Amino acid sequence: MKKYLGTLIVVLVLLLVYAPILILTVYSFTDATSIGFAGHFSVHNYVTLFTTPELADMIWGTVALALGAAFLATILGTLGAIGSFYAKHKWQSAINLVNQIPVINADVVTGFSICILLVAVFGISKDTYIPLVIGHVTLCAPFVYLSVLPKLGQMDPSIYEAALDLGASPSYALRKVVLPQIMSGVLSGFAMAITLSLDDYFVATYTKPATFDTISTYVVNATRGSQTEIKTALWALSTIIFLIVLAVALMMNRMQGRTDNERRAKAAERA
Amino acid sequence: MKVTFSRRQLAIPYVIYLLIFVVAPLVVIVSYAFTNGDGRPTLQNLIGFFTNPNTLGTLVYSLLLALVTTVICLLIAYPVAFVLSQSKWKARSVVVMLFVMPMWINFTLRITALKEILTAIEGNLAFHPFFNSVIGMTYDFLPFMILPIYTQLTRLDHSLVEAAADLGANPVQTFLRITLPLSVPGIISAVSMVFLPAMTNYVVLDMLYNSTYIMGSLIGSYFSAYDWHGGSMISLLMLLMICLFTLVTRGTEESAQVRGGTIV
Amino acid sequence: MKQAKGGRLETGMKKASKNRQTGLPHRVTCLGALGLAFLMFVGAIYGTGVHIDAKSTKEDVITLRVCNWEEYMDLGDWDEEETIDLESGDIYGERALYQEFEDWYYEHYGKRVKVEYSCFGTNEELYNMLTLGDEFDLVCPSEYMIMKLLAEDWLVPYSEDFYDESNPANYYIRNVSPYIRNVFETNEIGGIYWNQYAAGYMWGITGLLYNPEEVSEEQVSTWAALSDPELFRQVTIKDNVRDAFFAAVGAVKSKELTSQAFVSDPDYPEHLADEMNDVSAENIARVLDYLQDVKDNVYSFETDSGKADMVTGKVLANLQWSGDAVYAMDQAEEDELYLNFSVPKECTNLWFDGWVMLKNGIAGDADKQQAAEAFVNFLSIPENAVRNMYYIGYTSVIAGGEDGDEVWEYLDWTYGAEEEEEEIATYDVSYFFAGGQPEAEETYLLTVPEEQTRRQLYAQYPQEEVMERSAIMRYFDAEANAAINQMWISVRCYNILDMPTWGWILVVLAVFAITVFLIYSRRERSYEIKEKKQSI
Repeated sequence: MKKYLGTLIVVLVLLLVYAPILILTVYSFTDATSIGFAGHFSVHNYVTLFTTPELADMIWGTVALALGAAFLATILGTLGAIGSFYAKHKWQSAINLVNQIPVINADVVTGFSICILLVAVFGISKDTYIPLVIGHVTLCAPFVYLSVLPKLGQMDPSIYEAALDLGASPSYALRKVVLPQIMSGVLSGFAMAITLSLDDYFVATYTKPATFDTISTYVVNATRGSQTEIKTALWALSTIIFLIVLAVALMMNRMQGRTDNERRAKAAERA
Repeated sequence: MKVTFSRRQLAIPYVIYLLIFVVAPLVVIVSYAFTNGDGRPTLQNLIGFFTNPNTLGTLVYSLLLALVTTVICLLIAYPVAFVLSQSKWKARSVVVMLFVMPMWINFTLRITALKEILTAIEGNLAFHPFFNSVIGMTYDFLPFMILPIYTQLTRLDHSLVEAAADLGANPVQTFLRITLPLSVPGIISAVSMVFLPAMTNYVVLDMLYNSTYIMGSLIGSYFSAYDWHGGSMISLLMLLMICLFTLVTRGTEESAQVRGGTIV
Repeated sequence: MKQAKGGRLETGMKKASKNRQTGLPHRVTCLGALGLAFLMFVGAIYGTGVHIDAKSTKEDVITLRVCNWEEYMDLGDWDEEETIDLESGDIYGERALYQEFEDWYYEHYGKRVKVEYSCFGTNEELYNMLTLGDEFDLVCPSEYMIMKLLAEDWLVPYSEDFYDESNPANYYIRNVSPYIRNVFETNEIGGIYWNQYAAGYMWGITGLLYNPEEVSEEQVSTWAALSDPELFRQVTIKDNVRDAFFAAVGAVKSKELTSQAFVSDPDYPEHLADEMNDVSAENIARVLDYLQDVKDNVYSFETDSGKADMVTGKVLANLQWSGDAVYAMDQAEEDELYLNFSVPKECTNLWFDGWVMLKNGIAGDADKQQAAEAFVNFLSIPENAVRNMYYIGYTSVIAGGEDGDEVWEYLDWTYGAEEEEEEIATYDVSYFFAGGQPEAEETYLLTVPEEQTRRQLYAQYPQEEVMERSAIMRYFDAEANAAINQMWISVRCYNILDMPTWGWILVVLAVFAITVFLIYSRRERSYEIKEKKQSI
């Protein structure tokens, strides 16, 4: 009985979490304009989504921004983590502290403070996209830093020394010896940066040019607007993103399962 | 010529970046918060906030909203995390993944979905603005609450639980005396990921027809009125709130890492 | 009209991608600064189909930078069946008006001009763009922003020739409605009359759009409808301080404004304007109080969604601008829902959007100024005015006359009663078309279906008795502006004095719980530390 209660709780909460998304997915394939109204099967939402240049612009804009910002953030954060790891303790804790600020800060405050610095103090126009990119890099880089730092700790320090002793230049040793060791941290940092950038609304809304939209700012504007055609096309967008996320999750799960199996097989071999 | 550098110098670009885009904005915020439109130093922004029953009310309203949201999230998330951590399902990692997945869909889209459902159920959302906001926030932040607690519970040393049982404690006692106290770090990091965002995420309120402001909306509306000084004061207050929170819960690094770790 | 609205979405989107083109040179300049990642970023944006126009850099081409409201000019590309077949000929929008202007200007002035057309979303956004250094030659803000720009010395006056009615190329002055012309000639700021610096484009009033099946005309005859408990959560208000302030003043001063003594005063228009622009501290406090009641009564503070909420029946009444009201009424009719427009008895806000030339753009260049003035004249050709009205739904300041009666014919074409119509009414718009010429007045009587006296026509061309209770909202000085902005922010806040007892109890409990938690966790920590020490 107790066991079933636990399962029941989990299933119930999962249902709650997914009910809105699933219902939206169903309705995205109809011509209904509101949930709860009967509609007929139709793919017009998907047609609108793929044929409206405005929607395509904002989707690609969001993706491009996420990739660009994550790329910059990964370089900055990784270098920062390596440097900080080998710096004096005093310096390392100072960097750690400042690094925490954007992590725990409310996104609204991060976006607002970057906007005020760049736009009000430095007078940089938002149309240059500089505030937007900097805002997103600031949002993402600290997380890259946080995901790389522990990998450095797990690394065997003597390998780098050995490479130097064997005549490698520091930069060669870093590229060929250190980087491969921390690569998993760098990659997960990059993935995290992309996730954060895609999930962001507040930083973008304070720093973006007026004519540029990310998915989130577009959705918020659309809910303030009066066009139902756009509203229902966004249902289709939710559905597609949901399916992509589902596919990625399943893929990751399968990969994980495989590595688990390999590990188990190896352990069995050893035994 | 061979380029020589020490490894610690690699941090220089990042340090400069942090100084310009993290530290400098904070300095600017502080200086704007204590000046007026003419650039003269003033305490008016601060005094104005604490003497205006409306802005003060906003602080209380945001705190209440965040508190209720956090408590409800916790009440839902803890049992789920507990069950998950205790279960011996083969598909446990898939189920955990299912709870995390919504985080990858932008919250504006998720709230849009929720709004459609709530409208179908309630008809007119404006009748219950506070109630709907709590639902919206809970829906938005639930995954952020489940994962840190789950992670903490899986790390828990099972021998302690067994020892307690051996010593004659009943399951409830074991839970209250052993499991719950040991999961506090997870709870703290979970709360830190829900409480402050719930005070500032005004888009959830906007989308669900709650026209009352919370702290985040104050920043937004000062921003749209081009009042940098008022907006800076609110930002500063939020920063102070964060400082207070981290002081209270100490271990910012640990909880932040949990926060980072949960997303991917 | 309806068909044009159907096409709006698509054309509005074309405009959006055009905007992006104008933003591009900026983007290119920042490439160097941010390096490789930007290349990726820009590269991906290119993938979305944005291309740089090969700009002709010939010196003899005048570049005219025009910044207008979004969806506020005919961008052409009409469907065949949208053609407006008036007596004086068919009207059809082939290309965007600003593109057609380029050819027209070459034909009539013998010079090449290139129009760089971009858009803004709100007056404040435009102002911010200007203060951040964006340069435009010709912009189209609302009257209060024009006054602000004028007061801050941003503007270039129109040349004397612009007002010469004997010059056939001066379409604006020859065709502008005498009523509007009078408003521009009699309103001043700091001793400067509007008409010296501004030429009208579109105009309108504010009122309440309502669903007559659920709401009585009586209920929406006052601005107090916004706080009417019978409309609890079924009425919306505009999410901008000026419209909300105006409506609130109308509501709090309702008795006074409608009293016989006040209305029959010979200086009624001036007094009315003074009352509606009352920014005294006590009035702002009253307005704040009233708007907080409104906040607790309305469905939402909306920027654009109110129209859809009316059409779908989510709300029953809605503070609306006349042009958007026309649009919403058209939309609702498609679903066989008939909405009405009401102008509250206290007062209505008469507003304008007008073309002004900017100093930093024109920069003393006579050719540029000539092109800018010609642009305004081009838009004032009655045929073009009709195209704009058809496309965007707002009311042009152009009445026509000497250069064609298209506006009047268009009005008759849109609203005129069909022969088989049973309930008809006579609708007098002489004040707009003939103004001070009494001998011409009977020409401008429309025969319309009776319901049009409450619907689109009433919103688009309000009758003279409505205009008598109209007031223009002034531009407030910095101090009053700051007070009103603070008031507007306070409106949406939660007044701590309104907090119910359970709220206070909850606060106390929360503080108590946090304290307990703190003490508890401190004890845990000291215990942990002790334990660690022992283990060492």
